[in-house]
Amino acid sequence: MSSARRVQQWATMTRKWHLYDATWQDPYKSAEVIVKYLTGRNKPIYAASNDTGDQVVIINTRDIALRGDDWKYNIYFHHTGYAKGASYTPAWEMHKKNPIYIMKYAIYTLLDKDLRRRRDMARLHLFPDSNVPPEVMSNVSSQIPQLRRVPKRLTEFSEEEIRNYPKLFDYPKNYIIR
Amino acid sequence: MVFTCTVLCARRDFDKYWKRRRIFQLSAHFEGRKRNCYSVAVRYVHRAFAYTTNSRKLKKKAVRRRWIDRIHAGAAEFGSTYEALITGLGRCHISLNHQTLSNLAV
Repeated sequence: MSSARRVQQWATMTRKWHLYDATWQDPYKSAEVIVKYLTGRNKPIYAASNDTGDQVVIINTRDIALRGDDWKYNIYFHHTGYAKGASYTPAWEMHKKNPIYIMKYAIYTLLDKDLRRRRDMARLHLFPDSNVPPEVMSNVSSQIPQLRRVPKRLTEFSEEEIRNYPKLFDYPKNYIIR
Repeated sequence: MVFTCTVLCARRDFDKYWKRRRIFQLSAHFEGRKRNCYSVAVRYVHRAFAYTTNSRKLKKKAVRRRWIDRIHAGAAEFGSTYEALITGLGRCHISLNHQTLSNLAV
């Protein structure tokens, strides 16, 4: 096998590490994409009986965005099994206690409810901000594009960019803006 | 009655041996008593027969499902979907079957 073919063979059969930035993203929509990478359905060599899944590292899960009033009305139910053990936690409270939970649970519920789910979840690595341990970051070799464009804030523009930005017209110099 | 030598009527068990052997050959890979005890094994061997006949149809479905998954992944590499690709090929009168398409994807 030529070296080019060998590289291509290795690249198709290897397990890749992908990075996903969850800033301002909808956890449920992004979970649909991430589940594809975890299960290996993004690869044409996929088969249900063999394991073609990749590892996914998600950063900035603290900056997730839920739709509408979901922060207030999305309830996470948990029962300890003992009497009076039911608890109803709204999403904002859950996020405050554990900034990883909402993204993790969204992916967990979307995976197929079979024995492969736990294995695929073990390949998911979530971090609330961009602090990723170097041993994890050194493996990452590709990025999953964000679903929703993150707009740039006015304060994030530099002075030079604001000055050089094309203008149709401007206020006269002695005009007082109220 | 006392017989001093083996009599022809003992040959009555001859077919039973071969009949059971046919079942035990098929149950050789089962677990426990299903492997070695005839009255247990015969039931499970008959179930295995039923599974095999059913699976001939299921296998075709499973293989086609695998082709579809692979075509979908191959189309996604180019930013498309399985549905878009298949309808597009149909409109262009390109009659490639799913097996060929999945082989091309791989």
